[in-house]
Amino acid sequence: MNRKIRFYIFIIIALWCFGIFIEWFAKIDGHLILALPFLQKTYSLVCHQEINKLISWDGLHTLTCARCTGIYLGLLFSSTMVLFRLPKKIHPIKFLLIAAIPMMADVVFYTFGVYPYSKVIAFSTGLLLGSIGFFYLYVGLIKLIDELKH
Amino acid sequence: MKKYFAPLICGFGAGVLQIVPLVKSFSCCMILPLAALISLLLDQRATKNFDKIPMKKAVLFGLFTGLFAALFGSVFEILITLLTKHNDIISTFPDLQKMVQNFPLSEEIKTEVLKLFISVRDDILKNGFSLLYTFSVFFNNLIVNSIFGSVGGIFGAQIINSKLNNRSSGR
Repeated sequence: MNRKIRFYIFIIIALWCFGIFIEWFAKIDGHLILALPFLQKTYSLVCHQEINKLISWDGLHTLTCARCTGIYLGLLFSSTMVLFRLPKKIHPIKFLLIAAIPMMADVVFYTFGVYPYSKVIAFSTGLLLGSIGFFYLYVGLIKLIDELKH
Repeated sequence: MKKYFAPLICGFGAGVLQIVPLVKSFSCCMILPLAALISLLLDQRATKNFDKIPMKKAVLFGLFTGLFAALFGSVFEILITLLTKHNDIISTFPDLQKMVQNFPLSEEIKTEVLKLFISVRDDILKNGFSLLYTFSVFFNNLIVNSIFGSVGGIFGAQIINSKLNNRSSGR
């Protein structure tokens, strides 16, 4: 996949992540507040946005929960890496499913009260899944482009 | 149309999960990708074709799942708003008002922003319908759901195809 396409993917993911932290950016440029209700609605489609599960700082919140924020930042991290260096080998997709196990385990454990909800655990398990998941998205896109070419 | 029956069913399910109050609280970023994966599996069963899924087909199925989810989700959301004359915009309005007041903006801009949201809120409270709200719901749902659906199709095809690979290498 050429660098241009990798760059476009990076930009799309970066813009999506920018939206998650819009409340902080709105502190820098107040005009961004206009987009807030619209973005809240957008992110509500893909996240429950429970207030106690959002990442908060200085009275401001992310627009997605800690887990989803971790997933998206993981995607952003890997898309940045791929901009500079292509992965030599992508492992079979079972590695993605293995990467999902900590997140699933966390969901099960806190749902059944083994331990209380932790934003740090939710964020880090999401980050792991997102950063590994990007490589499978990347492989899928390469295959798609190949199929479209032939 | 029969070809896209599986995305229709899964899109309907995802649309409901995204919109209906209470059920909505279980919503997460995995719903649409999972719906796309299930639609690929359903299609395999319906057509009895268990060959490798081409990525083009997977993306198309994911895209249609997302589009159907957006269509059903938007219609349900607008209907619920019309019937109840209440939605997220109204319940979060006081918080938004407080937030706008705390931001470093000129009073003129603050008034303009609030005026816009007050007009949407008033329309919904009075008629259960706001053109701006309806447009934003359709626009949002179409863009976000089609992207997440397509991504789900990409992952889904790889998961299904890997099972086939394992079976064929096991023989």
